Amino acid sequence: MSLRIDMRWIAAVVLVGLLAAAPLLLKDSPYQMAVVTGAFFYAILASSWALLAGIAGQFSFAHMAFAGIGAYTTGLLARDLGATPLQGIIAGTLLAGVVGLVIGLLCLRLRAAYLALFTIAFSELFRIVLLTEFQFTEGSNGLQLSKLWTEITGTQEYYVMLVLLVGGMILMYWLADSRIGLFLRSMREDQEAASAMGVNVVLYKVLIFVITSLIAGLAGAVFYHQVGIITPNTIEILQMSLVIAMAVIGGIESLLGAAIGAFLTRIGLELLREVTIFGVQIEFGAWRYAAFGLLLMFTLRFAQNGLIHPIIDRLFMKRAREETVAKRAQASGGES
Amino acid sequence: MTVFVIWLVVAGPIWAAIGAWQLPKIYRRKGLDDSQARLIGGLGGLTLGPLAVVPLWIWTPELNKWYWGWGLGLLAALQLYLLFTQVQPQNLCVTNASYVANQAANGLIIGSIYALMAVGLTLIYSVQGIISFAHGQFYMLGGYVSYYLLLFFAERLGIVINPIIGVPVAGLVTMLVGVAFERMFLRPMHLGRVERAGEYAILITFGFGFFLQYTVLALVGPFSQKTDTYVQAGSLSLGPLVLIPNRLVAAAVGFLLIGLLIYLLNRTWTGKALRAVSMDKQAAAVTGINPLRMNTLAFGIGCMLAGMSGAALIPVFTWVPWVGMAASTRSYVIIVLGGLGSVPGALFGGLIIGLVEALGAGCYPDPSKGAAYRTAFGLLIFAVVLLVRPTGLFGREPS
Repeated sequence: MSLRIDMRWIAAVVLVGLLAAAPLLLKDSPYQMAVVTGAFFYAILASSWALLAGIAGQFSFAHMAFAGIGAYTTGLLARDLGATPLQGIIAGTLLAGVVGLVIGLLCLRLRAAYLALFTIAFSELFRIVLLTEFQFTEGSNGLQLSKLWTEITGTQEYYVMLVLLVGGMILMYWLADSRIGLFLRSMREDQEAASAMGVNVVLYKVLIFVITSLIAGLAGAVFYHQVGIITPNTIEILQMSLVIAMAVIGGIESLLGAAIGAFLTRIGLELLREVTIFGVQIEFGAWRYAAFGLLLMFTLRFAQNGLIHPIIDRLFMKRAREETVAKRAQASGGES
Repeated sequence: MTVFVIWLVVAGPIWAAIGAWQLPKIYRRKGLDDSQARLIGGLGGLTLGPLAVVPLWIWTPELNKWYWGWGLGLLAALQLYLLFTQVQPQNLCVTNASYVANQAANGLIIGSIYALMAVGLTLIYSVQGIISFAHGQFYMLGGYVSYYLLLFFAERLGIVINPIIGVPVAGLVTMLVGVAFERMFLRPMHLGRVERAGEYAILITFGFGFFLQYTVLALVGPFSQKTDTYVQAGSLSLGPLVLIPNRLVAAAVGFLLIGLLIYLLNRTWTGKALRAVSMDKQAAAVTGINPLRMNTLAFGIGCMLAGMSGAALIPVFTWVPWVGMAASTRSYVIIVLGGLGSVPGALFGGLIIGLVEALGAGCYPDPSKGAAYRTAFGLLIFAVVLLVRPTGLFGREPS
C-alpha cells in the first residue's frame, strides 16, 4: 500500500520538476515559451472542467465565460479605477464566483440538461454584451491589460502559470479525495440514493460549481494579464469546445489526465497550424479543428475514459488493483 | 404617475419575491396542489402586490385554471409597457402604434421559423430523452445545402430556380446526416453499450456539432453568402401593416411544415408510434413498436426540420458558418419556455420568442444596440422561466 502512494508522489514530483526545469530548454525561443505557458492555462481550465463534469456530473459550457469575467473585471478595474493587477485579479476571481453562484442557484435544482442549456445561452449573451457595449469594453478591438508587474520576463510568466496549475491541481485533488468528492461521486451515480442517504445534493452541486468558477476566473484573470489583451472571441463557443475536447481526450474523470490531455493537445494544435511536407507548406486552419472534433467523438464512443487516463491508470494503479484482487481472492477463498 | 412607477420598480419585485417564496409553502401546508403557486404568487405579487398575495394566502383558491396564468401574465405585460411609456416617452414604440404593429407582425412571421426549428429539437427530446447540441449546426448545414444547390443549377446548368426548391433537398440531406450520426453514435447508447448515457449524449452531440461547424467552415470559408429572394416584390401593404413578401413565404413554409408534422404525429401510424415511444418505451415495445427505429426516425425528422428551417431562412438572412450558434441558443430558450418535449409548447414558444425579440429589438432605446441584443431578450425569458416555472408553459413532467 505504502509503495503505491510513494510511486505516485515520486511521479508527481518528477513531473513538476521536469516542468520547472523546462525554461532552461525553452529560454531561446519566446514563442515556444508562450505556447507552453498558454498550454498551462488550458490545462487548468480542462482539469477544473473535468472536476465539474467528470466527477460532479454537471455540464457547464460557461467555463470560458468565467475566465473572461475574471479577465474583463481586472482589466476594467485597472482602466477606470486604477486598480493594481493583484486587486483586479482578486476582484475578478470573486466576481466569477458570484456569477457562478447565481447560475448555480438558478439551474442546479433542475436536471443536468438545464445547466448545459443555460450556460451555453449565458456565454453567448455575455459575448454579445461585450461586443455591443463597445464604449465600455472596447468591443471587438479587445481590452488592453497591463503586465502582472513591470519588466516581467517570459520565464517569470511561465513560472506564475506553473505555480497556478500546480496549486490548482493540489486543491482539486484534495477536494476530489475529501468527503465532498465522495458526495459528488455518489450524486453523479445516483442522485436520489445520495439524497436519501442525507447528502444535501443542491448544496454540494452549487458549491462545486462555485469553486470551479473561481478557479476559471482566477486562471483567466492571471493569464490575460500575461497575454496583454482580452477580446470577446475568447468567450466564443470554439474556445469552450476546445476545453471540453481536451478534457474528454485526456480523460474526463481524471483531473491529471484532463490536464495532460489539454497540455498535449494545445501544443499539438499549435504545431499543426502549418505543416511542411516535402517543402510544401500546408495551412490546416479550420481542418485541424474538424479533425479534433472527430477525435473527440471517437474518443467518447470507443474510449470513454479518455486516451491519457488509461495510461496513468496502467502505470500507477495496476499494482494496487492486483493487490486488492489478490486480497479479495484470499478473503473469499475459503467460501468458493 | 410617479407613485405608480415607484410601486412597479420597488414594491412589485418585493411582493413578487414574497409570493413566489411563501405561497408554495402555504399550499403545501394546506395539502393542496402547489405546482402553480410559485408562478401565480410571483406574477400576482409583481402586478397587484398585497392585493393579490394576501387573498391568495387566506383563501388559497385552485390555481389550475388557465385564466390565472394568462390573465396575470397579460396584466404584467401591460404594466411593463406602461412603465416603459413613463421611462421612455419619446420612444417610437410609445408614439407610433403602427410601428409597434409592424414589429409585432414581423416578429410573429420570423417566429414561425424559429418554432419550426425548435419543434425538431423538442421532438428529439420527447422520443430520445436527450437534447441535441448539434441542432444549430444542422440548421446551418441546411442553409448551405440550399445555397450550393441553387449555385449549382445557376452556374452549371444555367437554370435559375426558386430557393423554395432548396427546402426539401436540404431537409433530405440533413435527415440523412442525422440518421447516419444517430445510427453510429446514439444507438449504442440506447443499447446500453455506453456508460452514463445522459452525459455521453450531451458530449457526443456537442462534439458532432463542433465537427460539422469546422468541416463546413473549412469547406466554404468564412464569407457571408446569400441566395436570391423567394419573390421580387418589395413590400406588401395591408392596412397599417407593411409586410415583406419574402419573409411571408418563409413563414408560410414554416406553418405548412409544422402543420404537416402535427398531422403526421396525430393521424398516421408512424406518428402515433413516435408519441407512444415518447410516453413509455417499454409499453410501446410490447405493442410491437421498435423503439430503436423510432429513435432514429425522431432524430432524423428533428434534424430535417432544423435543416429545412435553415434552407427557408437563407433567402432572408445572410449566411455564415457560425450562424447556427445564435439559432440553437434561441431554440433552447424556446423549448424550455414551451416545456421540454412538448410540440405545441415549442410552437407557441417560437411565436412568443419571435414577438419578444422583434419588440425588444425595435423598442430598445438605442436602435443599433437593440438589434445586437436580439437574442439577449430571449435569454432573459430563459432565466425567468427557470426561476418561476422550470416545466415551461406546456411541460408535462416535473423536472
